[in-house]
Amino acid sequence: MPGFIDRMLTLDRRWIFLFVLVSVATPIIYPIGLPVTTTGSTRAAFEYIEALKPGDVVWISFDYGPSSAPENDPMAEAIMRQCFTKKVRVLVSVFYPLGGLGLANSAVAKVTAEFPDLKYGEDYVNLGYKDGAAAVMHRLGDDISGPFPTDVNGRPIGEIPMMRGIHDIRQVKLVFTAATGIIGEWWITQVHSQFGTPIIIGPTAVSAPKYYAYLNAGQLLGMLGGMKGAAEYEKLLAGAHPELAKFYKTTRAFTATKGMDGQTVIHTVILAFIVLGNYAFFRARAAKKRGAA
Amino acid sequence: MRTGARSLAHIVNPLFRAPLLASLLLTLSVSAFAIAPETSSPAAPELPPAQDFVAKDRPGDSGNSILLTWKDPAGLPAEAKLQIRRAEPPAYEWSEIQTVKQGVGRYVDSSARDRAVYRYEIRVVSDATPDSAGIAGAVSAPLLSDPVTSKDNWFRAERSNSLIASILFIGIILGSIRYAQSGRKIFIRRIAGLNAVDEAIGRATEIGKKVFYIPGIQSMDDIQTIASIAILGHVARATARYGTDLDVPNKDPLTFVSAREAVKAAYLSEGRPDLFREDMVNYVTYDQFAYTAAVSARMIREKPAAIFLIGYFFAESLILAETGQSTGAIQIAGQADPTQLPFFVATCDYTLIGEELYAASAYLSREPVLMGSTRGQDIAKGILLLLGIVGVVLASFGNTWIADHLKTQ
Amino acid sequence: MNLEFGRVALVVLFGILPIIGIAMGLRAPSLRSRIPIFIGIFAGFIPIVALYVPKAFLSGETGMSSRLDLWLIILAAFALLLGIVNVVQNSSRKIGRREKGWPYAVVLLTGLAVTGSFGIYGAVTGHGIGFMPDGSSTPFKWVEDRFFQPLQSTIFSLLAFFMASASFRAFRARNAEASILLVAAGLVMMGRVPLLEFLAAPIPPLHAAAASASQFLGKLTEWIMDTPNGAAQSGIIIGAALGAASMAIRVILGIERGYLGLGKGE
Repeated sequence: MPGFIDRMLTLDRRWIFLFVLVSVATPIIYPIGLPVTTTGSTRAAFEYIEALKPGDVVWISFDYGPSSAPENDPMAEAIMRQCFTKKVRVLVSVFYPLGGLGLANSAVAKVTAEFPDLKYGEDYVNLGYKDGAAAVMHRLGDDISGPFPTDVNGRPIGEIPMMRGIHDIRQVKLVFTAATGIIGEWWITQVHSQFGTPIIIGPTAVSAPKYYAYLNAGQLLGMLGGMKGAAEYEKLLAGAHPELAKFYKTTRAFTATKGMDGQTVIHTVILAFIVLGNYAFFRARAAKKRGAA
Repeated sequence: MRTGARSLAHIVNPLFRAPLLASLLLTLSVSAFAIAPETSSPAAPELPPAQDFVAKDRPGDSGNSILLTWKDPAGLPAEAKLQIRRAEPPAYEWSEIQTVKQGVGRYVDSSARDRAVYRYEIRVVSDATPDSAGIAGAVSAPLLSDPVTSKDNWFRAERSNSLIASILFIGIILGSIRYAQSGRKIFIRRIAGLNAVDEAIGRATEIGKKVFYIPGIQSMDDIQTIASIAILGHVARATARYGTDLDVPNKDPLTFVSAREAVKAAYLSEGRPDLFREDMVNYVTYDQFAYTAAVSARMIREKPAAIFLIGYFFAESLILAETGQSTGAIQIAGQADPTQLPFFVATCDYTLIGEELYAASAYLSREPVLMGSTRGQDIAKGILLLLGIVGVVLASFGNTWIADHLKTQ
Repeated sequence: MNLEFGRVALVVLFGILPIIGIAMGLRAPSLRSRIPIFIGIFAGFIPIVALYVPKAFLSGETGMSSRLDLWLIILAAFALLLGIVNVVQNSSRKIGRREKGWPYAVVLLTGLAVTGSFGIYGAVTGHGIGFMPDGSSTPFKWVEDRFFQPLQSTIFSLLAFFMASASFRAFRARNAEASILLVAAGLVMMGRVPLLEFLAAPIPPLHAAAASASQFLGKLTEWIMDTPNGAAQSGIIIGAALGAASMAIRVILGIERGYLGLGKGE
């Protein structure tokens, strides 16, 4: 036992890394299919979009880069699928400089391919990337065409049929920002505080705790916290719209629901290490006290 | 006897004929404009017109904007919309500028030019409702606005509360600075992380290893970075004094330039310019994770004795801190944003939390001016706390006066 | 020449005055440190005043405040140039002296040269750094997709490993605060994932109990995140915001000079 305690107290971190690698990789190769429970902040977000009417406009902002794509991509795709199913029109923008536009283009291409009846310029518009996020958001209350004179393809905004009825952010029913870093906060301080536009945020799991303060203050309508939030949203979406369930049952594509299997296993492994570490710590402390006595 | 026309022509000097004709034409056109410009087709009885249509210069803006407000009439069909038209100089012909849905009630025309006189009209249109002739596409009677001009304004009235609060806050800070400069002692509670700065540098000197200082990954437009560079100046003076090696890798180019100047100035002020090397403060790369990989690798290779992680960090915070922990260095971290603090607390020996970062320069230098401003900041916090408590109590009884007046635009 | 007031004011405040200051500083060195302070004062006050005074010359689209934002971007580009020169100098010195780790410097310079030249090629040919007209990737985009993105994801994924090792080391019940941290962390980790269902999966009689316990833990986790966490986050955010405002006032008024490397009394 003393040998075990010593080994636990001085455990080489590479053993922990090895366990983590196996724990995360195994469920990806052999999915378990564990259930997902939903939380209030995700349900609030889902129900708001469900209540939107055909023709309403939702602004989806891709404010993340490749590093957090596994968390944020599923959220953005799920929200887009829900909007298109409900015939809600979608405006896409990007404020993250490094790789954000590529991710937005890929996600839009992927989801719009699943809805063959959609027409670009009538059902959705991609405004592309714009530098100086906070300053641009501030100007959206005046006129969208000021900071975004053209769409991502270089077509003037005024020539796009969908944009004819949308002059400024006040005509938008909701902003969803899949964000990493500080960009999510700028949507709250620059857009919601100034113009009252409802905001739903999809932050990375690391940033999610900070946004509870904004949720409680009523500055956020809902939140999809990290991959768990995305998995919850996928579950709600597949439940309300069974025709979309096929996109989350596929074995090839990555979904947040599949990622939760790995997250469950790794949480179990980490908790086991914490319990073992504390056990060794207390036994060592007791042995020290006995030795001193 | 001459005819009337010929008499008139005879009376009016030919020299004045052209300008007289021009002024006559102008008067006619202006009076035509003043009376009522030509509007659209006759109103259909089924579509009521909009109400309370007002066009005015948008208040508190930089110009080139006219604010239009109106009330939707009752009993409109669901598909009816409101069409806004504008008559602008010099032709004063009506042209449509926007069609809005019901329930909006306002529109900002941001294509207006300053000092040009415009006129607006609003009318209800409905493609589905037939007009009095039975043809689809009914239009209500238009409602006209008074002539209006756009201009830029001197003050944003909706930000008055923010201005008053700012002036009060600055006044409190300046007052506290005067208080401190008068020689009175100001108490700052013990901040363990800042007390450990000299200890960490001393340890590095004893072991003969480097001090790493990582000033965050944001640029100099972030206040946390400025605070970090201020602390870097103190650390650089200490390393100059003790002759300890210092390494400051940077992710942002502006931060790199400022850090280099701060360290150079610090070494100069300590009278040790010979110890300063150009590669002491170096630029790595702009990419977040490439920077993290480079700095982590440097930590593992060079095994510094002390690592400072002070500034604004994002996801790379745990990677840097855990790598530093694995090298056995003493680590002091500090960030005002709470997101990464749990990782620093778990991996570093000392962590400056929230505003402790901003109090660092006052704490380390003990300058009366800086101490006074820290005191002023605490007074302002006390006032906010009081307002918060009073506001919560009032709101619990249904009175939202404080909450309403503290909202900012 | 466009001589609008805002433009002229900016050129005078940030161009002519600093030059005069530098010239005066050559004669009186103590004045040299004053120039950045004065620039800081003007650069700080203009956006603040623009917040309340919407006059076009100050806060319009081409006003002083907007132009300052643009100038910052231009400054950053020049500073990036300085940074690149610094990287090349340091790496070259390392290679020349065969210092420890010099092969890494070779890799760095090679990457810089190759990626930089692909970017320049994109600019010169007009294809940019995205896609070619025929839909294929430009050389820069190829490097971005095949090297940059996978490397970024790899380093980011290290977080998972480091989080595990940090948790193992940090979550020890050494004292009361550490114990609270440990219990809260454990509850949240169990509540965020269907951990109990996972553990009870091989034991069918326990499935129902595991499901309801999981539901309870989920609600408890939500309460922990909403209430204690939300309150603490709000407190830190408000305190930090006040600290930032105080620091900003000190910088703008020239009271705070530590970021210039100036010490007490300088």
